[in-house]
Amino acid sequence: MSGFRARARAEIAAGPPAATLSPILRKLVADTRAQLGTASPSDARARAQEARAYAVDHMDELHDQLRESCARNGTGYHRAATAEEAVAIVSRLLGDARRIAKSKSMVAEEVGLTGSLRLQGREVLETDIGEYIVDIEGRGPSHITAPALHLNRARIRELLAGAGADVPDDDPVRLSRTVRDVVAEFFADVDAGITGANAVIASSGRIVIVENEGNVSLGVSRPDVHIAITGMEKVVADEEAALAVLQVLAPSATAQPLTAYTHFLGGPEEGKERHLVIVDNGRSEILADERYRDVLRCIRCGACMNACPVYTAAGGLSYGSPYMGPIGAVVSPLLWRDGRHDDLPSASSLCGRCTEVCPVGIPLHRMLLDLRAGDTGNGGSAIERLGWKSWVAAFAGPQGRAASWLARLGLRAGGNLPGLPGSERSLPAATPTRDPAMLIPLDSIEPEPAPEPPAATLPADVVAFFRERAAIVGAIVTDDAGSEDGDRRVRATAAVASTGSVLLTGEDASRAALMDARRIVVEVDEDAIVRFPQDLAPSLAAGGDPLILTGASRTADIEKRIVRGIHGPEALVVVVGGGA
Amino acid sequence: MAKLALFVPCYMAALRPDDGGHARRVLERLGDEVETIVGPCCGQPAFNSGYRAEAKSVGRVLLRAARRHETIVTPSGSCASMVKHYLAGLWAGPRGASIERMAHRFVEFGAYVAAHPNVAALPLRLAGAVTYHDSCHGRRELGLTEGAVGLLEQIEGLDLRRLAYEDECCGFGGAFTVKEPEVSVAMARSKLADVASRGVRVLVSGDLSCLAHLEATARADDQPLETWTLAELLDRALA
Ligand code: SF4
Repeated sequence: MSGFRARARAEIAAGPPAATLSPILRKLVADTRAQLGTASPSDARARAQEARAYAVDHMDELHDQLRESCARNGTGYHRAATAEEAVAIVSRLLGDARRIAKSKSMVAEEVGLTGSLRLQGREVLETDIGEYIVDIEGRGPSHITAPALHLNRARIRELLAGAGADVPDDDPVRLSRTVRDVVAEFFADVDAGITGANAVIASSGRIVIVENEGNVSLGVSRPDVHIAITGMEKVVADEEAALAVLQVLAPSATAQPLTAYTHFLGGPEEGKERHLVIVDNGRSEILADERYRDVLRCIRCGACMNACPVYTAAGGLSYGSPYMGPIGAVVSPLLWRDGRHDDLPSASSLCGRCTEVCPVGIPLHRMLLDLRAGDTGNGGSAIERLGWKSWVAAFAGPQGRAASWLARLGLRAGGNLPGLPGSERSLPAATPTRDPAMLIPLDSIEPEPAPEPPAATLPADVVAFFRERAAIVGAIVTDDAGSEDGDRRVRATAAVASTGSVLLTGEDASRAALMDARRIVVEVDEDAIVRFPQDLAPSLAAGGDPLILTGASRTADIEKRIVRGIHGPEALVVVVGGGA
Repeated sequence: MAKLALFVPCYMAALRPDDGGHARRVLERLGDEVETIVGPCCGQPAFNSGYRAEAKSVGRVLLRAARRHETIVTPSGSCASMVKHYLAGLWAGPRGASIERMAHRFVEFGAYVAAHPNVAALPLRLAGAVTYHDSCHGRRELGLTEGAVGLLEQIEGLDLRRLAYEDECCGFGGAFTVKEPEVSVAMARSKLADVASRGVRVLVSGDLSCLAHLEATARADDQPLETWTLAELLDRALA
């Protein structure tokens, strides 16, 4: 039995993962479709694909450029060939830092960073709410963008209570805030912040990070040292390419137009350090293999697992890899060449839904086929090979042999239905009987309503649409913000109608000042409103650390329930003015 | 009147031999002259499992049988997709190119019927309620949904109740159901719940493979269900 099968069997027996996942993911898939219809232009996926394909095709060149850009802006550029090297580099950069605030990074999971740093005696806190919870649970994340998706609120309450928290009930708001408070307290005294990166920009050396909770905002501004660790493939050519990626990333990941905070981080502030650790760990080998190189386009949005029926039925932990779902089934055997994940390419019915939803056009199910046929990723046994030999003998030979071969194997090999002892699935009758009564509908059963069709597209009046979208993403849109204690008043360099976002630059983008405020009050000039995120490129041309705000901070790490107001200001207030 | 070959794939010949007859009768009612090729395999089971040399040995037998036909109709989206998208790739060079050309002569049964010049004149009538499931290959690799649904809608008296999650896989996946039976069955159950929620007990599909898998699971779970291929439904609607 494959490792995947053994784990999936245990997961299903313990309570089918689909019971939790199916309603959540079905909604997410429908919402993503709707979001891509409104938040982004119709060619958003083509643009994202082009930006990522360009990066994959010019990987070395872009890294040369990135290295120079980093040198210019003062960010340390470090290259790790292996997982061990990545850990060693981060350790060296950390020096004697003791308290480390870590936010979500799949590459950190891949190289085992948190565990290694703890073994060195450092105190590492997972500051993302979902990561914090799965860290206590100790089984690892089950989804690349929603790590605690496999846990329901009751189980999360148990885990938090076990860790000493006082949680009177399992209300997701209370549970989320309980973790927030632990994290906020940790940030009061912290030596270094470790984050991932969603893209790194070759032309400017900026690190792009998306987040909802505000823990990244704290992690990159509070401590004196910020280390971003990411895969070599995350490089993009320029700001325009980064925006093309961002335009599909949050819609595909969480069905948001953009995440609450989108950071563009240039060099470190005076007296602080910023480092970028670029991890290869097998990616160069993938790049050199024509069959699989395009998998390096991946932006880790998770849409393929959201749409995957195998993921839904088996749950993310069944994959036994930090990368799960269809992308995990492709990339895990390629990253770990010791065969440990070679069973994963077979953990797919090849339905192709992953390929259909992937915003950067990775032909995932075809790669699974190639992996099954290659020496990497075919978890087949000697017995299976013999089986196929006998199949060839039956089907390439005289007629009639095939039918008996099929009858012998048939669906019987499907075995017992789990949870139904003694009952076997068997082949349906060859000559079925037809009962006319079966055609009569059972009208007593209420048909479930079909999912909503996608909403309409962007109207011509960008100002009205900006107001509407800003309110939808949770900003307070008003003509008079008044004045309150703890207000931080800033002026948007630009705003985006389709996503309801505001862009802050220069001193206005200071994370430290924003995170200490109670309210952020943003003045938006009507003339500064553009239609789509991609139209922000000119506004990002100046230096500094631009920040795109889309609604107030939030989390959806517990059963995908949205809880607003995590770290930083409680409210984002938007005042639209009539032009200069 | 077109001359064509009806390719009844291996699993259909073994699992439900009458379906070949249903398909044949529908094609004849459209006025076509039908020869049958019964029982070869397109090679997909081995191909999908990564055994490409084996797939090639077996697919070759089908190609040889189909060679002299201008049009080869098959009541299986899955086999049609294998032949059209993957089979030729197993041969290199000019041989591959010639098989590629030949692969284009294969057409899935529902798509063929839906596009037939005489289809509008078919007297299709059947009272009852059914729902419809696409195989993933039929839906995503061949785009068959619209044609098949159009045919169902053409049947007078038929109450077609579309599934809420029509584009979700039933969990069959060929060797997948053998290698990962628990997950495969969990997926089937999800599909069967959708079927039950429509208030119908007859499930129609262009692909017998999905149907056999779903019917086996429904029976083990005591869910009343008849599974009909599109060919059977059309044939019965013509009777
Ligand atoms: S493979 Fe595509 S869909 Fe899956 S995580 Fe990567 S970018 Fe997203």
